[in-house]
Amino acid sequence: MGQESRGRVSFFLNSLKDVFTFFFSMGKKSKKMKVFFLIGVLPVVVALIIKLNQFFSNRTPIRGIYIFDNMTIAIYLQFLILILALFYGTSVCSEEVEGKTLTYLTTRPVSKSAVIIGKYAAYTSLIIILTSIGVILSFLVLNVNDLLDFSLYKILLRDVAVLSLGLMCYTAFFTFVGTIMKKSILFGLVFSFGWENVIQYFPGSTQRFAIIHYLKSLLPVPQTGRFSFLMFRLEPSSALFSIFMIFLITGVFLGLACLLFSWKEYIFED
Amino acid sequence: MKPVVETEHLSKWYGNVLGLSDVSLQIEPGITGILGPNGAGKSTFLKLILGQLKPNIGTCAIKGEMIRNNYALFSNIGFCPEQDAFYDELTGWQFMIGLLKLHHFSSSEIEIRARKALEIVELIEDKDRIIKSYSRGMRQRLKFAQAIAHDPEIIILDEPLNGLDPLGRRKVIRLIKSYKGEGRTILVSSHVLPEIEAMTKRIILIHQGKIFAQGDIHYIRDLIDTHPHIVSIKCSDPRQLASKFIQEDFVLNVNFSSTEGTLLVKTNNRDKFFGILPSLFVKYDIDVEEITSPDDNLQAVFDYLVGK
Repeated sequence: MGQESRGRVSFFLNSLKDVFTFFFSMGKKSKKMKVFFLIGVLPVVVALIIKLNQFFSNRTPIRGIYIFDNMTIAIYLQFLILILALFYGTSVCSEEVEGKTLTYLTTRPVSKSAVIIGKYAAYTSLIIILTSIGVILSFLVLNVNDLLDFSLYKILLRDVAVLSLGLMCYTAFFTFVGTIMKKSILFGLVFSFGWENVIQYFPGSTQRFAIIHYLKSLLPVPQTGRFSFLMFRLEPSSALFSIFMIFLITGVFLGLACLLFSWKEYIFED
Repeated sequence: MKPVVETEHLSKWYGNVLGLSDVSLQIEPGITGILGPNGAGKSTFLKLILGQLKPNIGTCAIKGEMIRNNYALFSNIGFCPEQDAFYDELTGWQFMIGLLKLHHFSSSEIEIRARKALEIVELIEDKDRIIKSYSRGMRQRLKFAQAIAHDPEIIILDEPLNGLDPLGRRKVIRLIKSYKGEGRTILVSSHVLPEIEAMTKRIILIHQGKIFAQGDIHYIRDLIDTHPHIVSIKCSDPRQLASKFIQEDFVLNVNFSSTEGTLLVKTNNRDKFFGILPSLFVKYDIDVEEITSPDDNLQAVFDYLVGK
């Protein structure tokens, strides 16, 4: 690599770091983060209620890890990470355009790709932290009697990793959506709770057109139980292929978002 | 002197609407005022210069380099946008630090520069307040601070005096004038002639997306002075005042407004008119409540010049 290319790469990485720091520190104190933090701890409240109910009822308690597994799929994977990725991903570009603050970023010596990727990385990190806090607390509450069973922590780690991959991938997709269209939230809701929720249950290869297919492929398929229908008809891809696809989708949509953001002109509405 | 900003046949359309048409000009160091009524194309021109918009036809270069997606050029450019937009949840200090970070300065240098810029705009005392709680004038000064904090060679200010009270205007004008030294190039847009006049003598007149005139401010002043001008005077004895004015050759006509006690005088010589006015008030013991110029604005001048 020539010296000039190396200089460019290091300048780009520096820009990325600067944009990341700016939006990470701004994002963690924002009102939006506080609201989503409250939403993020709701599953912990649910876990608490379940645990208290078990404690005070005379029925044979269901194993905490079983409830935790189902909670990961039903609440986090099918709902919460989609909502978080939707609101944070689309806002990477649209909040700058709608808030008319875009010119503060595009009149600085940072490339537009660094703005998009830096802000995406900041927001993705924030929502991964937020989700992980909720998941870990839910795990601790539900498994309060088995905290010394270290094999359970593997499950926790696996679930946190899958949810983080999901957040990474969905946020990249929604970043692209926010860059290309104005009514991105509406489209995002239709995609999240329409497309993703329907396509995954199609038999054969069709389900591979949903991101959630690759995420679910990384989780074990529960054969029985109340939430086993969520894995109904899943014809899982291999773990390696799923991880490859998740990174590929992330890269493609982030790349497209960068290209579009550099090429498109954004005109503020009065 | 070598031009800093050069445009050639620069044109921009928004669908069927003409934003800017065939603008070719060269801007040299110093303060240049971009003057034109609302919707004339001033902001479009500045956004094209900054590479925020793509021209449909023509080119724009800053110091000989094309600007669009040439982000390295922005180390030397400071921009104060027209819109009153901020990251409202930040404090003034956090806002400055965050934006200076994007210039890749070291942490200590960022703090020094942020402090200096906030001191210049007299916001250092309020640096820890959130921007949402700032007055309009403070917000305007904060926008100016972020445009100058990295010590740019070229400063572009889009309507920097909008919405400011007279004191705030004076402060910002003083700031802008203080920054013209050291070979800097400052472009200021406004739709109010006296504002530009207070900052510079070099102007570019834009009207309906076209460069209408370019050069010394005395040129536009002369145009205004020959432009028939209406003055509204609210006083204790408008009839007495009207009878005196009607005898003067520089008064074209006199009317009584529907508002009680208000006289409308149309003159083709503002200097003579305002020269004689105080003496008439004194001589005939007339109490004055208000003197306004309903058509003392650029739109009226432009309408007059284009023969509307």
